[in-house]
Amino acid sequence: MTTDQTPEQRIAELTQENEQLRQQNSIKSDWISISAHQLRTSLSAIKWILKMFTDGDFGKLTPEQEGFMKKAFDSNERMLVIVNDMLSMSSIEETIIDYTFTSHNIVSLIDTVLFDFTSESYKKGVEVIFLKPDVAIPDIAIDLEKIRVVLQNLVENAIKYTDKGGRIVVSVSKNEKDMVEIRVKDTGIGIPQFEQEKIFEKFYRATNAKTIHAVGTGLGLFTTKAIVERHGGTMWFESIEGEGTTFFFTLPLSR
Amino acid sequence: MPKKILIVEDDTFLQGLASTKLTKEGFAVTVASNGDDGAKAVDESTPDLVLLDLVLPGTDGYGVLKKIRENLKTHDIPVIVFSNLAQEADIKKAKDLGANDFMIKSNFTLDELAEKIKGILKI
Repeated sequence: MTTDQTPEQRIAELTQENEQLRQQNSIKSDWISISAHQLRTSLSAIKWILKMFTDGDFGKLTPEQEGFMKKAFDSNERMLVIVNDMLSMSSIEETIIDYTFTSHNIVSLIDTVLFDFTSESYKKGVEVIFLKPDVAIPDIAIDLEKIRVVLQNLVENAIKYTDKGGRIVVSVSKNEKDMVEIRVKDTGIGIPQFEQEKIFEKFYRATNAKTIHAVGTGLGLFTTKAIVERHGGTMWFESIEGEGTTFFFTLPLSR
Repeated sequence: MPKKILIVEDDTFLQGLASTKLTKEGFAVTVASNGDDGAKAVDESTPDLVLLDLVLPGTDGYGVLKKIRENLKTHDIPVIVFSNLAQEADIKKAKDLGANDFMIKSNFTLDELAEKIKGILKI
């Protein structure tokens, strides 16, 4: 900035710079999105072939061959998780400015999300309970797909880090500050005390999460918190290692 | 009589793999590599089920699905959309246009696909 600029000139200059940054960011997101799609197509082919080998579609394998093919299959699955996270990350970044708020019923959204996890929680042997509010909650203005991602991330994590026989309780209520508060409580491994302040950082993964579950990019909670804050809400958690974690987030009732 | 499956998929490698697997499973498989050929093949050969990719040269998968559903001769044919597009909006659009199922390629193996097809055709 030069000192002889008028405020109008400065505004024009900033607007132009901002537009350039926006374009650069959009090119970057497009690039990630296109390469992730390409990667996913190639990884699908590898997945299909390896499965056909282990199923004996190309003739019987020796136990050693079969073992290695299964390892290759698992390794490919891990790669897919990372590519999928990359894709959702790029779509989040790309649309960080681009939110569409419409009026929705949070209780029925939670219902749909939990329904999608029925088979996953059943397979894992974890019980998922939804405590519906006693009083009706008015519809709130949200970006539906993004809040769906928030709920999916929290429920998915809860199932992932909770052992067989554990229990996940989702609840929602209106708090005194005219906010809707949503809670996802699990009886899982918990977050170690010394790592609690870092848990929302980009790419951060707790040490016990890495031990138990090898796959993950450390983007889930970062993204989740960013979406909640963009809605004017806040997000936090309470956790005791070995006992469980509760994630909380709020969304404003009116905007 | 083996059931007829039409695979509309532009990636020849994926197309070949799916075709090999489904043939092994006892289906009579035909293929098309772009949307226009796909729509034409559905009308001419009236398969028992269509496996449809979304990103296709020419008419895309949504367009093909729309044509299948608008054509009286083909509007009852089950269509499984099989794609690596996986945004909620893509899934919703395909379902709204009348897709019987939406499978994300990278989430499934071909034996799971074959099972799904058998389920839909009640084999």
